[in-house]
Amino acid sequence: MRIEEHPILSFDKGRRVDFIFDGKTYEGYEGEPIAAALHAAGIMVLGHSHNKQRPRGFYCAIGNCSSCLMVVNGQPNVRVCTEKLQENMIVETQVGKGDLR
Amino acid sequence: MNNTASVVIIGGGISGCSIAYNLALKGVKDVIVIEKEYLTSGSTGRCGAGVRMQWGTELNCRLAKYSIEFYEKANEVLQYDGDIEFKQGGYLIVASTEKEDTQFKKNIALQNSLGIPSVYLSPKEAKEIIPHMDETKIISATFCPKDGHLNPFLATQAYADAAVRLGVKFMKYTTVTGIKVENGKVTGVQTNKGFISTPVVVNAAGGQSKLIGGMVDVDIPVYAERHQILVTEPVNPIQNPMFMSFSLNIYCQQTPHGSFIMGRGDANEPRDLRVTSSWHFLEEMAQSCCELLPLLKDLRVVRQWAGLYCMSPDRQPIYGKADQVEGFYMATGYSGHGFMFGPVTGVVMAETILGEKPSLPIDKLGLDRFEKDELLFEPSVV
Repeated sequence: MRIEEHPILSFDKGRRVDFIFDGKTYEGYEGEPIAAALHAAGIMVLGHSHNKQRPRGFYCAIGNCSSCLMVVNGQPNVRVCTEKLQENMIVETQVGKGDLR
Repeated sequence: MNNTASVVIIGGGISGCSIAYNLALKGVKDVIVIEKEYLTSGSTGRCGAGVRMQWGTELNCRLAKYSIEFYEKANEVLQYDGDIEFKQGGYLIVASTEKEDTQFKKNIALQNSLGIPSVYLSPKEAKEIIPHMDETKIISATFCPKDGHLNPFLATQAYADAAVRLGVKFMKYTTVTGIKVENGKVTGVQTNKGFISTPVVVNAAGGQSKLIGGMVDVDIPVYAERHQILVTEPVNPIQNPMFMSFSLNIYCQQTPHGSFIMGRGDANEPRDLRVTSSWHFLEEMAQSCCELLPLLKDLRVVRQWAGLYCMSPDRQPIYGKADQVEGFYMATGYSGHGFMFGPVTGVVMAETILGEKPSLPIDKLGLDRFEKDELLFEPSVV
């Protein structure tokens, strides 16, 4: 699911690129938010709450709410709703609060 | 409101709450704590929350040791239904100058003589304790595993709850506007919510304590210095001890929640009572942190805040009574370490007010020491 038409914004699609999410290869458009590519691939669970480990999905979409923190190319706590997709990115579900490496 | 009290304590931080609790524990009735805002709204709630035994003067070492040994059992002693979150991950204090290194060797000898289990370490040994530090920036380090940190909000609440159970009254959002003195004796406290008759006033007002002293014409030689702290997003635990450097002006700790807090002050700032945040701090703090603990460079800063160190000339607390005004006591001048001294402050102040022999020799920490010119300076302050 992607927004194709919008009354005031334009969504110029980048080229189709591959990226890896939790070990599997997916396709997305270069430059779109990582979360958009995941969402389009049917991946709705982006994070988990710290205390009860409940699933957290796409929520604020503007980098504020911390619901979508993932490990991207080894870096923890990346907000995938605002981080742009690049070719061959390695996106991983973050366990706990993330490990600084 | 009560219009009479046996003791009025000004300040609802850890010191005021601890003094109130200890007085009530000794059977004193009608103790009132007056707090301008909410409990911990001053320096207690703004502090870095670290506690350490690694000091450079005998009295600071003993005060800190006494307090930390209390914090170890505070949940039980205060019968707190929560948890003050006391974690003893140690303090790693690094030396980056020869002068500091020499001082640290003296400090360790002093600390060990007082039963404090601190050790002197090479840069390589220090790196084993905090693997992500850049050990090339340091000459040596000292480490004490008994040091640590705890939650200042919950620790203060634990004292306040215990004090309330013993009959202490708290007046929050109440401002002291004056102290009445007749024939050289305290007779009452004027607040914006009325007058309270009392023969004893305790000045535990932290950064505002000089102003309170001024109300009875007692000149307390302290000034408020703004210190700032930032907190980062949380990550899984990687740093157990507090990391600290006096010469590089940094302390940095990972909290149980996973966030890192780090802070410093700037001694050249105007000595006013501001607690606003500055961008200089953010830039300088981040730069020092990234040089010494480079792994933290990718952490995002969540927020920053400021609080006041109440600086005394020798960087040791001022405890005891004012000779000029009967019934006026003070517990101030902690120079940034009032939270960690909270437990001992309550004990020795309650003893002093009741005319008992203090558990520690705080007669050397009276206001009169500044007139005698025989000060022992604490060298280890950040």
